[in-house]
Parts: sequence; C-alpha cells; structure tokens
Amino acid sequence: MGEQNQKRRIILHVDMNCFYASVECAFDPSLQGKPLAIAGDVEDRRGIVVTCSYEAREFGIKPPMPLWEAKRLCRHLLVKKPDFQKYKAMSARMFQLLREYTDLVEPVSIDEGYMELTYVKADPLFIAYDIQRRLKDELGLPSSIGVAPNKFLAKMASDMKKPMGITILRKRDIPKILWPLEVGEMHGIGKKTEHKLNEYDIFTIGDLAKEDSYAMKQRFGVNGVKMWERANGIDERKVDPDSANDYQSIGHSTTLKEDTVSQTMLSAVFSRLAESVERRLRQKQVVSSAIQIVIRYANRHTITRSKKLENPIQEKEKIYENAWQLFKKHWNGEPIRLLGVTALDLVERDSAYIQLDLFHYHEEKRREDLTKALDAIRKKYGDKAIQKGNNKKCKE
Amino acid sequence: MKFKINRNQLIQGVQGVMKAISSRTTIPILTGVKMTVDSGGMTLTGSDSDISIERFIPAEENGEINLEVQTPGSIILQARYFSEIVKKLPDETVEIEVGERFETQMRSGASEFSLIGLDPEEYPRLPQVEEQNVFSIQGDLLKMMIRQTVFAVSTSETRPILTGVNWSLEDGQLTCVATDSHRLAQRTVKINSNATELSFRNVVIPGKSLNELSKIVEDSEELVQIVVTNNQILFKTKNTLFFSRLLDGNFPDTSKLLPGDSKTTLVLGTKELLQAIDRASLLAREGRNNVVKLVTLNENELEISSNSPEIGKVFEHVAITSMVGEELKISFNAKYMMEALKAMDCSEIKILFTGAMRPFLIEPQSGDSIKQLILPVRTY
Amino acid sequence: MGWEELRKKQPRVVKTLTNSLKKNRLAHAYVFEGGNGTGKMETALMLARAFLCREKNGVSPCGECSDCKRIDSGNHPDVHIVSPEGQSIKIDQIRGLQKEFSYHGMESEKKVYIVEHADKMTVQAANSLLKFLEEPTSPTIACILTEQVHRLLDTILSRSQVLSFSPLPPDLLVEALTEEGISLPLAKITAALTNDKSKAHEICREEWFAQARDKVIQLTEGLRNRPNHVLVTLQENWLSLFKEKNQLDIFLSLLLIWYKDLLFIQLSEPDKLIFIDQEDRLKEQALQNSQKRLSEKMLAILTAKQRLGANVNPQALMEQLVLRLREG
Repeated sequence: MGEQNQKRRIILHVDMNCFYASVECAFDPSLQGKPLAIAGDVEDRRGIVVTCSYEAREFGIKPPMPLWEAKRLCRHLLVKKPDFQKYKAMSARMFQLLREYTDLVEPVSIDEGYMELTYVKADPLFIAYDIQRRLKDELGLPSSIGVAPNKFLAKMASDMKKPMGITILRKRDIPKILWPLEVGEMHGIGKKTEHKLNEYDIFTIGDLAKEDSYAMKQRFGVNGVKMWERANGIDERKVDPDSANDYQSIGHSTTLKEDTVSQTMLSAVFSRLAESVERRLRQKQVVSSAIQIVIRYANRHTITRSKKLENPIQEKEKIYENAWQLFKKHWNGEPIRLLGVTALDLVERDSAYIQLDLFHYHEEKRREDLTKALDAIRKKYGDKAIQKGNNKKCKE
Repeated sequence: MKFKINRNQLIQGVQGVMKAISSRTTIPILTGVKMTVDSGGMTLTGSDSDISIERFIPAEENGEINLEVQTPGSIILQARYFSEIVKKLPDETVEIEVGERFETQMRSGASEFSLIGLDPEEYPRLPQVEEQNVFSIQGDLLKMMIRQTVFAVSTSETRPILTGVNWSLEDGQLTCVATDSHRLAQRTVKINSNATELSFRNVVIPGKSLNELSKIVEDSEELVQIVVTNNQILFKTKNTLFFSRLLDGNFPDTSKLLPGDSKTTLVLGTKELLQAIDRASLLAREGRNNVVKLVTLNENELEISSNSPEIGKVFEHVAITSMVGEELKISFNAKYMMEALKAMDCSEIKILFTGAMRPFLIEPQSGDSIKQLILPVRTY
Repeated sequence: MGWEELRKKQPRVVKTLTNSLKKNRLAHAYVFEGGNGTGKMETALMLARAFLCREKNGVSPCGECSDCKRIDSGNHPDVHIVSPEGQSIKIDQIRGLQKEFSYHGMESEKKVYIVEHADKMTVQAANSLLKFLEEPTSPTIACILTEQVHRLLDTILSRSQVLSFSPLPPDLLVEALTEEGISLPLAKITAALTNDKSKAHEICREEWFAQARDKVIQLTEGLRNRPNHVLVTLQENWLSLFKEKNQLDIFLSLLLIWYKDLLFIQLSEPDKLIFIDQEDRLKEQALQNSQKRLSEKMLAILTAKQRLGANVNPQALMEQLVLRLREG
C-alpha cells in the first residue's frame, strides 16, 4: 500500500472538443469546417444552442445562447437537432478506445473522462498522443488531453489548449502556469464562490494558494480546504471506473501473454472477462442490454463489434455466450493480441424488464409462483422480511 | 421474333416487373427481363427468385391496338439497360426484332439499338395456374388481411419460419397467422370459392413478399385469384401475376397458444387506448424498454403509466365501457400494443387477460375475425 | 461430360455415387476431398444434373434439357454454388445460403448446394452450414468441396459422407495441363514433380523454373565435357539462380529425373522419358554411363536432397554432389 502511494501518479484527462458538433461532423463530413450549432428545437426559434463548432464560436456564438441570437450573429449557421442515441454510441466507442490502454478509466460525462496511467509501463506522453491520434483517425473526433500527477491538474491542463491540444502540467509548473490565472478559471469554482473569494482579496489562483489553509476552513468549510489544496496542486482523488453515471458502460480488456489463435485459450479469456464484467454489474446493481467486444490482432489492427440483446442480462454465462458469438462471427482467424468485453446500455436492475416469449412463457410460471409467495410474505411481515438471493454477493 | 409495340404500354409493363428484379442476385439470368410474344399479346417477367412478377400486355384492348406481332418468340434482355432505353426512345412505337443468336434490334423513330439478348430457355420456370385449385379474395380485403398480420412477423433469422405469415384454408375459412414470439396476429376470412373442398395447411409466405404484393394489389373490390403449389404461391390480378416462394419448415401450431378463458375482460374504445399509450410511450421510448403499465382502477376507468428514471413519469386515465373479473396490473411493450391496436378495424375492442405473466388477447368488441395476442414483460 | 469421363479420373467416387443414384439412396451431404484438378466440382455438377434432370436415363442425365443446360450455365435457380470471393467465403454469401436453407426451391422441392473451398469458411459460417446438415427438410443435397479436409469441422465430417478424390495420374495431369496451353515437354516435367494441378500451374509460372530445366541440361553436359570447370562456376551458374531452399530442391528433383531418363534409354524404354525433347542428348550421355554408375549417381542426388532437408549449407552440398557426379 505505502509503496504504491509513493509511486508517482500519472493521470490523463481526455476532453472531447465540442462533442455533439464533432460527432455530427464525423457522420456527415460535409458539415466539417462550417459553423454548426446543435440546438434543442430547430424549428422553434426559442430553442437553445446546446453546443456548437469552433467555426461557430468564432462568430461569438456560445452555449447556452438562444437560437435566434446565434442566427443573428451568423446568418449561415447550420443547425442540427441533437441525436442522443448517436452521441451515446460514439461515447461508448470513445471510452472503449480509452480502456484499451488501462481498465482504470473513469467517465465523468458523455464526453470526458480520467485515465490512471500510474501502473502502465509505456510513456504517458506517447499514450496521450496515440489516443488523440486514434480518436481522430478512428472516430473522427478532436480531443484535448491533459497529463498531470492528479485529476485536478489533469483537468486544468486539458482546458489549456483546445482543440487538439496536449498539455503537461507538472507540480513544479504550478507557480508559473496555474497561479497567474483568475480563481474563476479554477475547475470547481463557480461565479458565487469567485465573488466571495474576491471579497477576501483573493483574485488569482496564486492568491488562493498562498492563503492559510486554516483560515480557508474557517471561511469556506471543508470546501475551503479543498480549494486551497487544489490551488497548491494537491488532489488525492482516485480514478474510479465505477463512479456512477448512466451513460457509462462496464468493460474489461486484457492483453494476452502471447498472440494466439487457440480457441480454447481465447474462450477462456472471454470467460474471465465476462466474470469481471458480471462482478461489476452486480456491484452497481445494473443490467446490460448490449454487449460489445474488442479484438486487437497481432498487427495492432483493432475492431469493436456490438450487438443489442433482446432482454437485459447480468449473468456471466450470458455475457460470455454473447461475446463469444460476436467473436466467432467477426474473428478473421488471425492471431490475437488483446480481447475486451463491454456491457453497454446499462439499466438499473430494478427498472429493467424482460419480454416474455409466446413459446416459453410457461416456464416463467415457476418464477411467478415464487414472486407471489414472496409478496404474500412481505404483506404479512413487511418489505424487508425477505429478499431474493441473487441480490447478495455470492461466493463461489 | 418480331413485333411492334406501343411504347407507353411497354414502359408500364417493364416498370411493373422491374420491382422484382434485383442487381444482387446470384443467378446471372435473373438480371434480365424476359419477354414472350404471341398473337394474344406480350408477357414480361422479372424475378429475384424470392418473388416473380409477370405482366401481360394484350395485343388489343378496348379497341386499341397495343402491339402487332409478326413472328412470335421469346427473349431475355438485361433489365437495367432495357428499361432505361425504353424510357428514352423517341417515338410512340417500338419495333423489336430478335435474330437467331438472340441479338436484338430495337427501333423507334430514327434511333436504333442493338442489344445482346440471352436464351429464354435459361429462365426459371414458374408454376402454371391450374384452374381447379384456385380461390379468390377481393383486392381490398386481401390488402387489409396483409396489413393486419404482416407487421407481427419476426425480423430475426434465428427462426426463419417465423419471418413469414402462415396461411391455412379449411372448410372455406382462410386463416392468416404471424408471430415473432412476443406477439401474434391472426386474421380469418370466409372464402367464397366454387372449390369448397379446397384446403391447405402450413403455407408460409415470407413477410417481405406480402409487403411487395400489397403494393401491387389495387384497393378495389376486384377479385384476386390465388393458387397454392408445393413451393410457390401465386396471386393473379387482371394483367399481373405475382409469385412468391414459400418458406420451408413447420410453422408452430399457434391454435393451442391462444388462451381460451379470461380472468379480466375489458371493453373500451380503440382510439382512446391507442392515444393514451402513444402519449405514455413518449417517455417510455426515451428509456430503454418502451414499457407501459396498465392498471384497472374501477369499472369505468383504467390507468396507463410509464416511468423513465432519467426523464419523468406519465399517467393517463382511460375511460372503459366495461370491466368483468379481477383487478389487474400488467406491463407490456407499448410498440406491440400500438401496432396491434392500429390493426384493429373497429371502434371498440375487447381485451381478455389471464394474469400479469400471461399473454393477453385483443379482439373486436363483437366477433373474432381478428385476434391480436401480446406477451407482457416482467421485471428483471 | 458424363459419368464415363469422370470415371477415368475418379473410378471409386463415380462408382459410389452412381450406385447410390441407382438405389435412390443419395446421402444428404457429401464432402468431396482431394487435390486441385481432381474433378470435385465436375463431379458435384454431375451429381446435381443427375439429381435434377427430368429426362435422365438410368443414372445419366440427358445433358440436353433445360435443367441440365442451366446447371452448366450457372442459371439453375435451385442449384446454389458458393465459392470464396478473394481470401474467404464472405458473410453475405453465407447469409444468402442461410436464406436459401429456409425457403422452398423455386421450381421444385429439390435443391442442391455446392460449397467450394469449404475450408475457407469462418467458424460461424461452418456452423450455419452444420445447422442445415442437422435439420434436413426438403430433398436436398449439399456437396462440400475442399482441398484441405483436415481444416473442416469434425461435426461437418461426421454428418456427411466423405468421398476422397484420388490424385491425378501423371498422364491425365499432362493432358489437363497441355489442354490449358502448357507445352508438352514442360507439362511432362511438372507432372513428374507434383500431382496437384494448381501446384503444377504455380511451378510453370515461375520464371526460374524454365531456367532450372536448362540448368539441368547445362550441368550434365558440363559434367561430360568440362568436369573441372563445373565446380568453379557452380556459384555463379547454379547457386545464384536457386536462392530458396525449395527451388534447389526442385532443381535436384529435375536432375534426378534426368538420370532416370538416362536409365530408361539404357533399358530401351524411350516412351517413359520425361525430358522428351532431349532424346538425342540423353542418348549421347547414356553411352558414357553404366547402369551401375547411373544408380550410384541417383543415390548421390537423393542423399543431397536429404541433406538439404537437414539444412546443410547449399554450396557445400552442391560441391560435394558435383564431385560425386563427376567421378566415372
């Protein structure tokens, strides 16, 4: 434990540039290089610009501006309705790509995430460039990446050069790069807090850093200490792949010990991956309605393939079955270096449904009887009296 | 073979059969359109092997001469080129002449095309109509029957037989059934046929073929003649023959799957329920499963609701005409329910439930010529 | 083409198939296994004709009716042939086949499926084929053709009748090759090296192979006229041409064939010659070698071939061989 703490942490913050607009451009290259806005309601002039391309930003358009105002600033502004299915799908592919480098990927929102590279042997800067290039080549999406010893600095770094920037922020760069910035620029400080800080003559991040941490706690509570720590480049937060987010997917991938074509070995790998995915699905109490696999061949050529499922699943057997089916369908027989399995379209277990089948619904009768029995017991003894066993962690 | 034909007639005829021709066929000859002329007129044939369309252009119709035949015969021409050429020819008539080695000259006004033709013997042989096995249905009714069943066919290839609609004819009653295993649609029709002893079972017509057929049949009272053979089914209208290959395999016996009894029976307006579910599913669609819940409130009212954790909830109250039997809570896929309701051609319907985990049946308020069965969903 | 012609190539296979046809006991699925050019596709098409022809006489299709003709032209709607497009059998081709499995035939209940190079199917494709083999419905025949039977799924083999196509006898291969425009002398030589037609073609196409033949003549003539010179020019004249081990191996095989030809001359069996256009030269050289010497030399070549397989340095190997061939 102590040893690991001493290891110098390396965190990447990957931030997609104008994500929705970029996705639209990736799907329709004719939109590229043109001012484009994504707006809630294209017909209704009261619609609001959700996001816009850099070309549109040059006209002074920025979200959340009303559409009519944006059109006044730029007459030939192209406007598209948001297509969240498309964005979600792209987001899933983007995180899948990130997970090829490490399992420690924490999605923060649909278009940004942290990666912990502390335990990855390769040069982090090289990885950052590789990720940025591949996001552009394979998905057609521009991104900015911050490389730093913690989440806060990585986030600040990724903001510094957009679009397509890669910025390294080391602890020793803090006085020179971070401190001259206004406190409002600091991630996590809103307008209100900024005003309050100004009242205490704190205008730059440097001012904040030089304050007394005890005084900050007196004035701003726990949050004050946090701000002070951040200003000094301290942030111990872990990169947590399981931090809850509904657009999140749960995935694992593994590089094989040696390139192989052995189906027995590959099947065993899928089994193990399915097990890991199941474990985390259970932890989060979610089920998945789509399974995706990644195949990377020995020549580094990589494909991802997914399939929608008729009914949501959580069990490793079913995850394995679907992943293996996908694999057999798409594998070209060449030696394989890396395999990955991801559960997509996650739904909370409690709000998931299973469509009954005309030819098999009779088999559900047993389950129905059980449910009835459970209901009867609950009615009599209260809701907590009895629960189905599979909610608990089973040790095999 | 040599004949002269009215160009407009030829254009229409060719366009009619082009619907069946696909460029992606694995059988080379099927990229061609087949023409046969005799003193009676001209027959054009196009096929992608799944469906085949034959159009007949009579030599003479309502006193108008459509074509003049000098020498009868047969030829196959590349459909893509032939149809484009015919559309662009300058004159009102086209003269077509085929030489011994199938080289084909087309003359119209001052232009002359020379096409390489193919041996008509190479073309697939389509089943012949045998008059004694024919029964007929009005065109509009046939279209309606297709519309009421075909939406329920399976789109998954895991059980190919379910991608078709199962037709059977017994005791003068034609029954059409489609199911994708999550819902089932059944339509029965009395057949006025002179061949009352005619009967068949397990004639499974691909849903895709029926959709194509529906586009061809006119919405009129004119009769469509139907012939079933071992491997194909044939629909005959005035000047068009439509053939479809049948699916191979046994369609499951669905008669036993339709529930006979009911624990809860509701009678209510079709449109009112459809609109309530349509609205409720607005939010359900955003969630991932498009599930709505139906709860009986009392003898006059039921509630349709949906809940999408990220977006919100909807509650709709729907007035009902009557309710007999137990109270009920049941959840189902809104899409299946809406499609089933749209297929009902009556203003009031009857829904028969036998429990929250069992299929429920939708029928017209009176009569049972249409049955729509839907399987509910259960929580995970 | 009829059964009789095929019988010349594949007597056993034809016997099995015609017997089953006679007794009306055709299998549901056949695996035709054997080298390129052994007549697998011809046999499959023949079987299709015999199965679908409505005018057939005993087991022989008429060859004239529209069924027979359309099987030949690839236009029969109920005969489905799948061959690899490029490297493998594509997923769309298999989808098309799967669809066909689920439909009735177009003209009758009878259908024939022929899958060429079935070893180039993906596992999934093979499995979908398997599904069909497991649940035969209409009267159908599937012919699964492969040159590499060991690469087929066991489950496919166990559900099919496997018919092995024997390699082509050399004279039939020579015939086939000359029909395809390869000169008789060249065809003779390649047929002596392989009995697989596609391999024979491959060898003929190689530029160095034509030279290799000349080099055999040059070497044996050199050994006769200027034996010492041969050793000196070995590197530039021979070894530089045969850079790959298998090329040198083929050269040695050709050399062996040459000495065999010399033996045939001595035994007065000129019709068995392989280097048919070199009869005069062979006769001259034959005069200078006793039968005993010839067999010693052939042994030397065989030893060299063996040592080549054991990764001996090619130059050392050739030098030693030339020394031994020179003696006597």
